[in-house]
Amino acid sequence: MEPLDRELDEAELDLPSEPMLLNMGPSHPAMHGTVRIVLELSGETINKADVQIGYLHRGFEKMCERGTWSQVFPYVDRLNYVSPMLNNVGFALAVEKMLGVTVPERCQYYRVILGEMARICDHMICSGAMAMELGAFTPFLYLCRAREIFWEIFEEETGARLTHSFGRVGGMARPPTADFKAMVRVGLARVLALINDAEKLILKNRIFLDRLDGVGQISQEDALALGWTGVVLRATGVPYDVRRANPYMVYDRFEFDVPVGTRGDNYDRFMCRQEEIRQAGRIIEQALEQMPDEGPVNIDDPRIVLPPKEEVYTTIEATIQHFKIVMEGIKVPAGECYSYTEAGNGELGFYLVSDGSGTPYRVRIRPPCFATTQGLSQLITGLMIPDVVPTFGSLNMIGGECDH
Amino acid sequence: MTSVELALAIVKILIVVLFLLNMAAIATWADRRQGAMVQDRVGPNRAVVYLPSLVVRGIVFFPPALLAALSVFTATRPASAPAAAETMVAAAQFAVAVAWLGLIVFCASARSGGPINPAEEALARVEPRSIFYGGVMAHVAVFFLTQAIPLSAAPVVARIACVLLGALLLVTGAYAALRVPEGKIPLRLLGTLHAAADAIKMIWKEDFIPKNADRLLHSLAPLLAMFPALVTFAVIPFGDKLCFEDNGDGVFGFGDLPLLKRTVDQAFTCSGHVVNLQVADLNVGILYIFAMAGTGIIGAALAGWASDNKFSLLGGLRAASQMVSYEVAMGLSVVGLFIIYGSVRLGDMVQWQAEHAWGIFVQPLAFILFLAALAAETKRIPFDQPEGESEIVAGYFVEYSGMKFGMFMTGEYVELITSSALLVTLFFGGYHLPFLDRDGINVAFGDATLFQYKMTHFAVSLTYVLAFFGKTILMAWVQVFFRWTLPRFRYDQVMRLGWTKLLPLTIVNMMVTGIVVLAVDSAPAGLVGGLQVAADVTHAIVAVGGFAAVVALIAGLLEPVERQRTVNSTSSRFAAAAGGTKASPQQA
Repeated sequence: MEPLDRELDEAELDLPSEPMLLNMGPSHPAMHGTVRIVLELSGETINKADVQIGYLHRGFEKMCERGTWSQVFPYVDRLNYVSPMLNNVGFALAVEKMLGVTVPERCQYYRVILGEMARICDHMICSGAMAMELGAFTPFLYLCRAREIFWEIFEEETGARLTHSFGRVGGMARPPTADFKAMVRVGLARVLALINDAEKLILKNRIFLDRLDGVGQISQEDALALGWTGVVLRATGVPYDVRRANPYMVYDRFEFDVPVGTRGDNYDRFMCRQEEIRQAGRIIEQALEQMPDEGPVNIDDPRIVLPPKEEVYTTIEATIQHFKIVMEGIKVPAGECYSYTEAGNGELGFYLVSDGSGTPYRVRIRPPCFATTQGLSQLITGLMIPDVVPTFGSLNMIGGECDH
Repeated sequence: MTSVELALAIVKILIVVLFLLNMAAIATWADRRQGAMVQDRVGPNRAVVYLPSLVVRGIVFFPPALLAALSVFTATRPASAPAAAETMVAAAQFAVAVAWLGLIVFCASARSGGPINPAEEALARVEPRSIFYGGVMAHVAVFFLTQAIPLSAAPVVARIACVLLGALLLVTGAYAALRVPEGKIPLRLLGTLHAAADAIKMIWKEDFIPKNADRLLHSLAPLLAMFPALVTFAVIPFGDKLCFEDNGDGVFGFGDLPLLKRTVDQAFTCSGHVVNLQVADLNVGILYIFAMAGTGIIGAALAGWASDNKFSLLGGLRAASQMVSYEVAMGLSVVGLFIIYGSVRLGDMVQWQAEHAWGIFVQPLAFILFLAALAAETKRIPFDQPEGESEIVAGYFVEYSGMKFGMFMTGEYVELITSSALLVTLFFGGYHLPFLDRDGINVAFGDATLFQYKMTHFAVSLTYVLAFFGKTILMAWVQVFFRWTLPRFRYDQVMRLGWTKLLPLTIVNMMVTGIVVLAVDSAPAGLVGGLQVAADVTHAIVAVGGFAAVVALIAGLLEPVERQRTVNSTSSRFAAAAGGTKASPQQA
């Protein structure tokens, strides 16, 4: 019971208004099905945002402990399902680091080209989906057509369009096809032309620029403190790119720029992605130039790589090797290591622990999205509801990676 | 109101409502298909009716046979020389059109399904575009050829032309019926059956009302959203006035209906009975439209409030504030037009445009402002915050299901068609076509007449009605492709645009228009004559531009599809190895 002799001041004569709680639930069209944001609104302005990352119920890390080292590849395909090849390469590199082996040069170039193609697909779909969520549907269709070109090449090389499972410890599942280089050259030119078309549609559009410019800003310090990596960090002006900072494979042989933004808003993230697509195109062109046409793709170590089938069917040694690798797995020496690569939206790390047997003792993944999504609440606080859409879209949260 | 007037009113309402509802269904399908809300491509077993080949042959053969019979029947009837001349021109043009259209269709079918005889092999090698260009040239050549025939010879030539047209139609129809393959024929009608399938599906869906919703208002809202869109069309004239002669009793009765005047002069002197091709000729005209559009707000706001859902509440609030704001700009942007046209009756506006120049040439800025305000009023991209799918799920109709949702959709797309009709009436000359007057084609600049061609009252009126509906469909298409390309504003940007940019611009436009109109009114006579010539030049621009646009459109539709593949995909190669083919995916 309140005391009745309270002094009335001016403020209490206003209409009482309490903040509206709005649950942008996991089934909201812009929330990718796994993220829930509880918004505290006054009018349309967000006073407080509580971002909750949900489960996709994959159990990736636990599943990896059930099989051999090679049986992890189908699972990593399904982490970032927009650029599966990069995850394949990342995990293969991690296990090779444990083993202390390096794949032949031809395979490294092959991995670089396929990985950069996957990166282009990732950035294209992110930019296109962002434009689509803002209502511009046509650019998204253009970019989907561009992705189709690359996916036909992937299909030709790996036999699958989305879940390639193409990486292997110590090499790749198959050598490049005969006209691989020609296909990539033709495809890349057409993809870049389509991307230019899509950019013409939106980058001269005041409405689109107004929705992106100055929205969802974050400072360098905050981004670093949150553990952001990849495009979202580079958009704030930190030129951190794993390919440049810690070159793995043959990335130190290429000339490419690391695009950085200035303000870390949606516009910077968008433009950094578009520029990175072009840089990836440059890398692919140089890699095609330098890639040897002849030579082995897999390392010559029968304890790691499956022997060729004709030998398996004709010689007893190869039969035994095949049996041992399939049934018991590759014997990775006991120890632990952290291997990290530059994936589609940041630093994709694998922390592996081995007890010397053929199965992983522990596989810990460091998904870039998880760190990125943490920062969403401080990005959108103070903005309006419609700003959640492009801001969240520009972070490129991938549900399969976030849940681990 | 006599019984014949009542019957005519019912017929007019039927024409309007059927046009609106059919177009709304097709526009919904076309627009939402791009928005990925319905299946992108009509699949093999989707929205398709299977018919036995005998029935399909009948369907294919019946219309050409009917038209052929009509044409031969026309040839047997006696006609005066001027009427025969017109019949001759029409029949010759129809024959050319049937010829090139049929050749293109047969060429396409021969290319896709394989030629079945040597003639088709030769046809398949021809480029469809060259057939079309040949057809256009034939149209022009035949027109001047028929002009060269003296009036005395017209009846004979008209009969020959009609018989030829009938024969051509019969041959084309029969050959098309022969081309129909055996077995079950899937009837898809370019996917337009999908709209019907969607509607039937929605009627049978569960009608869900949330537990805490206001049941009455929740059910009333779709009605309120749809009603204004439909009744707005009542004052829009979809054709010129018709003049019926009197059969001697001085009263307009059913006996007068066959007595449509054969020809009228340009000033429309009519001693009989005049029928407006307009459901209601109100003297407040466009004010009625604004009033009705204002009531459309209630439906959206009510739906948003009555659903007991926070998303829909936000959507309803956005809809209400946005529509109220843009009503102001919309009303003020056409004031300049009132000043120039000197009337708020839509029929008078169209008449002014027919006599002088189309509205878009006298008020270009007002057109842009009005288009923007109209897009906001119909809640379409870039102003679709009230229902932005990715922000507030579906806005004010988030809690609606089944046919109530369908009514919102229908209402929205009826609004699209109505707004297109309004745009056409205000800025694109309504039913008027350049150089087509009530007595025929007069190509004249100022006082200098270059070309004259007399037409009957019936032919002109029919052309006018077709022109109006064609222009409306074109404008609707323009508004739909805006939606496909433009992103969405943010809510506060919309408000800022409406109040701080659009509204001042409309007021400036109003003032400038007033000053210019005053200046022209007090100007010497020579300037007025010069302005009249300039107006005729704008008509010429529209005529030439329109003709070029139609040619370019059809040529674009006939563009050869490039089937270049970067790579023969593995699956297609496996299919080829097994002796089959794989349907190629969409080409980039």
